[in-house]
Amino acid sequence: MSALEHFLSVVEQNGSELWLRIGQHIMLTGVSTLAAIAIGIPLGIFAEKRAWAERPVLATVGILQTVPSLAMLALLLTLIGQIGAVPAIIALTLYALLPIVRNTVTGLRGIAPSIVEAARGVGMTPAQKLSLVEMPLALPVIVAGVRTAAVVGVGIATLSAFIGAGGLGQFINRGLALTNTDLILLGAIPSALLALAVDGSIAAFQWGIETRRRARDLPRIWTTRIATALPAFILVVGAIAYWSTSSGLPAAMQGSTRGGQETLRIGAKNFSESEVLGEMIAQLIEAKTDLRVDRRFGFGGTMIVHRALIEGEIDLYVEYTGTALTTIIGAKTITDPNRVLAYVRKVYAERFHLIWLKPFKINNTYALAVTSENARSRGWATISGLVADAGGLRAGFTPEFSQRPDGYPGLRKAYGLSFGQVFDLDAALMYRAVAGGEVDVVSAYATDGRIDAYNLILLEDDRHAFPPYFAAPVVREAILKAYPELRTVLAPLTDLLDDKTMRALNWQVYGEKKSPRTVAREFLRARISWLPATRLNDGHAFATGSSATRVRSAVSQRRRQ
Amino acid sequence: MIVLDNVSKSFDGGQSYALCDVSLTIEEGETFVLLGSSGSGKTTILRLISRLIEPTAGQITLDGRDLNDCGVIELRRNMGYVFQGIGLFPHMTVGQNVAIGLRLIGWPLPKREARARELLDLVGLESDAYFAHFPNELSGGQQQRVAVARALATDPDYLLMDEPFGALDALTRETLQKEVLRLKASLGKTIVFVTHDILEAFILGDRIGVCNKGRLDQVGTRRELLKTPKTDFVRALLARPLEQLETFQDLK
Repeated sequence: MSALEHFLSVVEQNGSELWLRIGQHIMLTGVSTLAAIAIGIPLGIFAEKRAWAERPVLATVGILQTVPSLAMLALLLTLIGQIGAVPAIIALTLYALLPIVRNTVTGLRGIAPSIVEAARGVGMTPAQKLSLVEMPLALPVIVAGVRTAAVVGVGIATLSAFIGAGGLGQFINRGLALTNTDLILLGAIPSALLALAVDGSIAAFQWGIETRRRARDLPRIWTTRIATALPAFILVVGAIAYWSTSSGLPAAMQGSTRGGQETLRIGAKNFSESEVLGEMIAQLIEAKTDLRVDRRFGFGGTMIVHRALIEGEIDLYVEYTGTALTTIIGAKTITDPNRVLAYVRKVYAERFHLIWLKPFKINNTYALAVTSENARSRGWATISGLVADAGGLRAGFTPEFSQRPDGYPGLRKAYGLSFGQVFDLDAALMYRAVAGGEVDVVSAYATDGRIDAYNLILLEDDRHAFPPYFAAPVVREAILKAYPELRTVLAPLTDLLDDKTMRALNWQVYGEKKSPRTVAREFLRARISWLPATRLNDGHAFATGSSATRVRSAVSQRRRQ
Repeated sequence: MIVLDNVSKSFDGGQSYALCDVSLTIEEGETFVLLGSSGSGKTTILRLISRLIEPTAGQITLDGRDLNDCGVIELRRNMGYVFQGIGLFPHMTVGQNVAIGLRLIGWPLPKREARARELLDLVGLESDAYFAHFPNELSGGQQQRVAVARALATDPDYLLMDEPFGALDALTRETLQKEVLRLKASLGKTIVFVTHDILEAFILGDRIGVCNKGRLDQVGTRRELLKTPKTDFVRALLARPLEQLETFQDLK
């Protein structure tokens, strides 16, 4: 099968979601570009008319442009306190301002002084001068600025997926998290094509308005009309894609907020384990209750997904006890698993009104990994055993591991360990780097499927420097009160999972390129005998079986009250 | 009637004057030519009259009213202005350019189109052929005719013309000068005409004001200027065409 055929088949499999993501992407870019036009053009006019305002205005929009995209998104998230389309659109709007404001100023300034004087001389008021002469003459330059803004916007909009705004970045985000090239391309290629389409349509618009200033014959007037309508056409296509899919698709694919509690919103971070566990929870809830599930996966960070939970953007997601302890609560490292859980439970309930359900038997703690050859030849089995050689070793850590108190700093303290060289590596590259001998030791996640695949050995943490990272569903108190059956529904997962199983499941996603949804479904179907296959194939069919019926009648009873 | 009373204009806060203590009366219905070389202040006078700039000192009255008491927009709409370097709006058709003044005062489209056609015919451009053209499709002479038509559109009492034919070749200039004479006879407007061309001034002007370095050296009919030049500058200026003529006669 050729690469193209393969890609087309990927497109076909994800057809309806692709259509939705394109719609979201156009909406994100379109709405933000329109907003930037609405703000930027008046701002540009103001800057041009008032000499004192020009420098500060241009400097401000210029500085906005230099803020790194992810930093901007994170900042807005904090300022607005909300995830999703709103902060994304604000960020995109701020980025789009510079080219529009600058080109408005340049366009107005480029008008011949004699024309401006003529406009005054024939008795135009300042407003008439602006609308009848200056704006029409500056328009080509301003449109060029809008063109730049829109094309750049299509690119930056791919990052909005990190804060739950959807768009084609969702595929890229997911693909990066799962190192699945197909998914990355499924986001990247359409967004590149979209950028070309946006660029082309605005170029056609420019051609249209320019030509209409010269052409007097009817046929050309019609072609110019069609040309000038192209950007609007793209917006309309985006709106249709957006609205048609967001009402017709399963709730899982919707980006918009849904009211009412008959839908439970499950979150997940953007890596395979979080998504697989999220899927298992989602599928169990779908199978055993008649709640609908809205999957909001791919959150780009612990604080982001935690905030989403507190703000009620999502109802439940799987967190790790150690992460909650250090990253969210900011407490000192505790190494006793039970104490960690008890402490986290208490603080979460008091401070956030969030409840920790029973943890799974998965401890995705940090670990140090080396190749099995090195472990054998150099006799490494524990972290203590590494201390003597550390000065001559190259370590590859994720930036997070290098910084976190329970990561490398904690390790240094507990073992007196200091590596000769430490490189910041992306998690996806880390394992390959150590397997390829580019570094000698890497930080690993204990349940990472790549450990077995790359034939790596985890060194024993003989001094218990790493805190436990047991995975457990965290749910909002109000939700648990309304649906206490969630405890029973999710209970089977506690005994089904362990580190080894989780590594295998992660590898199915990472290595075998299965979707987290498929991996979760196959696993649950194999392990839970009563789980009806049909129910899991089709998220909308009704569950059968007595327990499901019981729960369902309980839910509907409560709704009647 | 336009009266300038001891008018001065400085663009640099009084360090130098583009116009220095100029007094001048332009009578109803006359064609008054401001003659001078570039930098002499003649265009400044025109811009002051249309309040595109404000005087540093002195007073200007229009039909007995202080110019500052006339609303600036109203004032400009009542003065047709033909700009140096034409000043047609490049994004508007010839018809739209001519009708712009009417659009500003709220005439409905069909009415102002009809008026624009009428005016194009008046300035000697076939309206059917040129109405929908854009200015850049026209020759310099044609553009200048359009500019004159635009200035006339609202039927203003005053017509201010700032070196309108300066950039045209001699033949075209001559034709347009004749057109202006014809229009003057048929329309009876008060025209203030700025030029650096002595012959043009003599052809068009009922009276001529000679500008020199921001001052008005002399105002009078061409006969008065020739017979009794008040300053050496005026004498030298008027002597030049005759000298040129003599040069040509030597060639024969």
